[in-house]
Amino acid sequence: MKLPFNTYHKVAAVLGFLLAIQLPVVQAQNQAIAIPEGSFHSVLPEVVGEPHQVEPFKIDETAVTNEDYLEFLKENPEWQRSSISPLFAGSDYLRHWEYDLNPGSDEIMDRPVTRVSWYAANSYCEWNGGRLPTLNEWEYAAQAMDFDSNLEANRFSSELIGWYSAVDTKIKSDVGSTGIENRYGVKDLFGLIMEWVEDFNPPIADDISLDCGTVGRMQGDASVYSYAMSIRYITRMSFKPTSSTGMLGFRCAYDMNSNKMEI
Amino acid sequence: MKLFKISFITVFILFITAGLMNLQAQSQEYTIDGLTFGMPEAEVYTEDYDGPPVVGEYVTMLPHLKPLDYEGNKHHEIRLDTFTQEIEVADGVRFRAWTFGGMVPGPVIHVKEGDKITFTMKNRSDEMVTITKPGLEGSDYLKQISENDYMGAEPSIMPMPHSMDFHSGTVAKDDKWRTIAPGETISFDWYANYAGTYIYHCGTPSVLMHTAMGQHGVVVVSPKDGYETDDRVDEEYVVVQSEYYLKKGAGDLYQYDFEGAQTKQPSHVVFNGHQTILHDQPLTANEGERVRIHFSNNGPSLTSSFHVIGAIFDRVWLEGHPYNEMRGMQTVLLGASGSATVEFIVPEEGKYTLIDHEFADAEKGATGTLKAGPRQ
Ligand SMILES: [Cu+2]
Repeated sequence: MKLPFNTYHKVAAVLGFLLAIQLPVVQAQNQAIAIPEGSFHSVLPEVVGEPHQVEPFKIDETAVTNEDYLEFLKENPEWQRSSISPLFAGSDYLRHWEYDLNPGSDEIMDRPVTRVSWYAANSYCEWNGGRLPTLNEWEYAAQAMDFDSNLEANRFSSELIGWYSAVDTKIKSDVGSTGIENRYGVKDLFGLIMEWVEDFNPPIADDISLDCGTVGRMQGDASVYSYAMSIRYITRMSFKPTSSTGMLGFRCAYDMNSNKMEI
Repeated sequence: MKLFKISFITVFILFITAGLMNLQAQSQEYTIDGLTFGMPEAEVYTEDYDGPPVVGEYVTMLPHLKPLDYEGNKHHEIRLDTFTQEIEVADGVRFRAWTFGGMVPGPVIHVKEGDKITFTMKNRSDEMVTITKPGLEGSDYLKQISENDYMGAEPSIMPMPHSMDFHSGTVAKDDKWRTIAPGETISFDWYANYAGTYIYHCGTPSVLMHTAMGQHGVVVVSPKDGYETDDRVDEEYVVVQSEYYLKKGAGDLYQYDFEGAQTKQPSHVVFNGHQTILHDQPLTANEGERVRIHFSNNGPSLTSSFHVIGAIFDRVWLEGHPYNEMRGMQTVLLGASGSATVEFIVPEEGKYTLIDHEFADAEKGATGTLKAGPRQ
């Protein structure tokens, strides 16, 4: 049982975190935003003075919606709920949808699609001309927030940790509605859902493991910001590629030379 | 194509290696000094289970302990699912707790020294689980909640990875206590090798957050040969102290207070999960009776100086082990995750206050009442 999963873990990846602040809804066209190259510090062990380098890439402005996903299912019936192979998704896959091509109500069309497996997310992005963002790309984009001060960053992170304890996945807002965006305009990396990434269980995961005290060890700089980040890493690491939960969705990334429309 | 072949072979070798490593982790049961070790590897799987989230013959809601009515040792089958539940922990203070079995603390599990336990837990944090309807199989625990739902539990969803760490078990934690994703189930065996009262909690990082969010409870392991006062005890209760770190969130609900938890500044310190429950529903006894309390300080971070105003502990067994006997204690000092089994004789009719004598914590709620009736 444990054996194949371990192996998948090495290859695979996921998620950012969570909850919705109710703000005026902005209709989001799912367009890609260019992120310039750069580097960032993660909570994973790194060579001193050598932060993780990230090449330029493009990433969706918002998470994939139920409406987007419906289009994908129409063209790719093998990923519909009644057809999907158990190899690629657990029995919770799209559980909240009415049936195969009916998400339930028009109201949820602009909300992020959730209860999709890592395999399904991959397949969607491929169909859409992209791929899932790597863990480093996702975290790098998430770190590109403009806070006025450390105090502000800490306050934000502290709230983020609090959100983990207050999420109610019954009530989910539309994509683009959290009011949280990074300096390039990528929306809802926090505050709406968690998101799949390509390598959600990094090779280093076994060394870190999911046990008592890990958070302290992962807190490179002892800030509340890196505490919040370590909770994201740890949560990702527990998922299987067939996992699907009501809080887990995704957005796609694209190589710079892809012809995905930019904004 | 060649690349494909190479990667296929690599993956194949990885599978075989992982398989061998798993085999190495397997063990055989063995005994040392009459204690049993060497449990088989835990199983992690998915199941379409939507039955009662708590199943077990000797599993009860605080402050009750179901008496053991069997001779010798027993093999227990216990299920304790983990899921989210919105609960009240003080007047007007509700939050979405991460729970074992839907309450904070989780159910009391009673076993005997030397018993074997087969434990099953499904991570149902992505499901709406109702605990106020007793299950068809007649789970004692669910029946007690439906009759006395003092936390006003309401189902809620908050998918998170979780795990189970029984202090009463002696096993490899990277196997049995491992974290499972929402939708997964874990099953493993352990022996209650040592008598005493032991906490259980979620061990998934941040342990501080998971425990503070409500994932803890106790296992009472009664000594094989009992305590010497067994036939003189009139009332037996379980009291658990713990802290909440909460602040007002959006709307009416409270949420986790990261700063409070990091700096050990709880918003509430409570007995049996609720600020006033042990006053609203006092423990009862009569003048002249011998009362036994299994008291556990589940933390996550503070100490407790447990005292009963108006009584002196006639017997104290630290950690609940019958060999750790002390007499005539006014206060028992317990670090986080420490416990004691205490007994006192109720001197006269009246009210006795159970209290954490660290008064700053008492004033945040760590108090309760024992109401004594006339001599029978
Ligand atoms: Cu947990």
